[in-house]
Amino acid sequence: MLRLRAVFEKKGRAKYISHLDLNRCMLRIFRRSKLPIWYTEGFNPHPYYAFALALSLGFESSCEIMDFNITDDEMSMEEIRDRLNAVMPEGMGIVSVAPQEKKVTAITHADYSFELETANVPGLRNDIEKLLAGESILIEKKTKKGIKTVDIKPDLQVLTFEDGNGCIKMSLRLPAGTQTNYNPTLFFDALRNAGSESFEARNIRRTAILCEDGTDFK
Amino acid sequence: MTVKEKIEKHLLSVQKPSRYIGGEVGSVIKDKSKIDVRFAFCFPDTYDIGMSHLGMKILYSLTNERENYWCERCFAPSEDFEAIMRENDIPLYALESLDPIKDFDFIGFTMQYELSYTNVLNMLDLAGIPIFASERGDELGQIVMAGGPCVCNPEPLADFFDIFVLGEGEEVNLELIDLYWEMKQQGASRLDFLRRAAQIDGVYVPRFYHFTYKEDGTISKVEASDGAPDIVHKRIIRDFDKVYYPENFVVPFTEIVHDRVSVEVLRGCIRGCRFCQAGFIYRPFREKHTDTICRETKCLCENTGYDEVSLASLSTSDHSEIDPMLTQLIDYTAKEKINLSLPSLRVDNFSESLLEKIKKVRKSGLTFAAEGGTQRLRDVINKNVTEEEIMNTCTIAFKGGYSAVKLYFMMGLPTETDEDIVGIAELAQRIVDLFYSIEDRPKGRGGVQVSVSCATFVPKPFTPFQFEPQDTREMIEHKQKLLLDSVKTKKIKVSYHDPNVSQLEVILAKGDRRLCKAIYTAWKKGCKFDSWEEHYRFDKWLEAFADCGIDPAFYANRRFEYDEILPWDHLDYFVSKRFLIRENQTAHQSKTTPNCRQRCSGCGVNKKVGRECFC
Repeated sequence: MLRLRAVFEKKGRAKYISHLDLNRCMLRIFRRSKLPIWYTEGFNPHPYYAFALALSLGFESSCEIMDFNITDDEMSMEEIRDRLNAVMPEGMGIVSVAPQEKKVTAITHADYSFELETANVPGLRNDIEKLLAGESILIEKKTKKGIKTVDIKPDLQVLTFEDGNGCIKMSLRLPAGTQTNYNPTLFFDALRNAGSESFEARNIRRTAILCEDGTDFK
Repeated sequence: MTVKEKIEKHLLSVQKPSRYIGGEVGSVIKDKSKIDVRFAFCFPDTYDIGMSHLGMKILYSLTNERENYWCERCFAPSEDFEAIMRENDIPLYALESLDPIKDFDFIGFTMQYELSYTNVLNMLDLAGIPIFASERGDELGQIVMAGGPCVCNPEPLADFFDIFVLGEGEEVNLELIDLYWEMKQQGASRLDFLRRAAQIDGVYVPRFYHFTYKEDGTISKVEASDGAPDIVHKRIIRDFDKVYYPENFVVPFTEIVHDRVSVEVLRGCIRGCRFCQAGFIYRPFREKHTDTICRETKCLCENTGYDEVSLASLSTSDHSEIDPMLTQLIDYTAKEKINLSLPSLRVDNFSESLLEKIKKVRKSGLTFAAEGGTQRLRDVINKNVTEEEIMNTCTIAFKGGYSAVKLYFMMGLPTETDEDIVGIAELAQRIVDLFYSIEDRPKGRGGVQVSVSCATFVPKPFTPFQFEPQDTREMIEHKQKLLLDSVKTKKIKVSYHDPNVSQLEVILAKGDRRLCKAIYTAWKKGCKFDSWEEHYRFDKWLEAFADCGIDPAFYANRRFEYDEILPWDHLDYFVSKRFLIRENQTAHQSKTTPNCRQRCSGCGVNKKVGRECFC
């Protein structure tokens, strides 16, 4: 049995596929591909596959991670990739398939890029600078135990920050994985809570899933 | 800004956005510049419901087989998205190209249930298409048409449509589109096209038919003009085994009501249950061969990736090759780890061997459509199921590990008395007693659960009960209370329909052309999604009827006379009115009619088709 990890994209119209629907969608992709995917051996056998991180509805991504097993040890990674790509819906595609190296728990961070569309670019830029310069960035985060206030400042890394055409373009590195998971919408909330210029976030995209040492998770 | 850009600005603020953006596997995308005729296949309900409809899948694929025609899908938006569409001037669009459907050549609706009529008006309005056919101008284009079971009496919708297609659309749709394209190239007018279209067998153009009424409100005559035929015949597929069937379905991202492959195994029904419209309008009985069914199942499962298949028909167990068919199918589905679900299995030929096969696949609930609580009433409706058969099946099922039984009944059937209602509770009680009398019954929590579900009887056109009045709301409420009072155990759960809904259903089903303005008025008052409990506004409907001077009881609670001209008498669904009258009389004598396989009862279909139904 091959324990495999696929990196896949989810772009364009595919960003409207919710995480729950993605599960069902992937099951049908596997069935259409006729790959010898490994089935669980319980009372109700089903193909085994798992996503490393959930992606919010409406976000695009170039780096989603899915683990699955193939019962044919001889099959090449390229063939598996091509057979899956032949039956993918518009906007979804497998970038690469490789044997699993690390455990999913090795994921610590993820990078996101986005644009904040606004009528007042300098004003919003100013608001963002002010927010980032502050001592803390407090937001209310829903957890399983209820709503709790957290400071995202220590965990927030701004990778890029520049003016665009009628928007601010930014990219952030945020904690991700089994321990702490911050969604970039937390940053938007914090900005709005601080009374910023009004803006619409668009083209939100996950661009990397990373390990502790900053390398891509594979 | 394109429609796509406009939609995308708002899509993340609505529920289940993937319903509104297309891009599903199996959807057909074509190069617009190479298309001659564009067809918007509209389902007058939401995506989740419409995407489950088999007829759409068939006609969608069939039309798209033709390179120069492009058929796309269109559904009614949910309330949240409709508000956004109206606020932001987003016209109703088709899911493949995301182009507004007002620019299409054909806007075709499938009319599956009466309570979707207001949605048609709402969708036309959202599209920016004039709601009344008479307001659509002289130019050829924007042909609004409809098919499906409800158009067997299309009169309440007559003012809104240019064309109705009677019967099965697989052949006639393409003939219509071909004619359209030929005449479009010649620069013909809308009226020229409709006149020629009316000459195609199965095509009914309502504007060419003129009704006059007697003083008592019944119809005095129907006259055809513009060379349209006096009687319009429905179309059928003669060689059903060879009929076009899609090799692929559009596979939705979001979960839909019937989220699986469905394979049609037979069309028509041999049973002749006197309340059942489908049982008469889809005659004659025709089936596909086992090999065809298995080939289509395999093909669709492979292309869609679905892991569930259901067999679609009015009565799958009436297939002449049911045993070999299920054996072959189960061999395939078990090997491929596919679930096979089998709806509408009748009680009376539910054999032990068949049950064994089904059990191998999956253990789901047992459902019986007994319809009537006493044998006398079951004879009246010609539901040829005896209590002995129900008990035998339950015994086999209980011994086989089942412990839940669902029973379907109707209330307000012709000749029904209080005794028949009490009979429902008694039948359910005897099933409970049967369960506890069986030694090797399934042990464990809860024991047996018998669910009794009661619908209100709705007399429908082209059935022997088309003449019957519906019970008034007071009568139904009395019967519902009586049933509840007659149930003595918690092992029996009773549920029933809102009689107000059934009343609207019968009015729209048996109505005539004078109802068009009431439907329009009701929609103007905000009625839509009438089949959804949370949207249904019976008070608004009553207002609309009153505003239009319409007495609902004239349609709902009046007996239509045998010699009366009915609003659908000029439409020929192959079953003769003489036969329907005879069956109605037989019903009132509590006598049954054998099924078509046992003996031909002379409904007239064989004469129209020109061959015997069974050799």
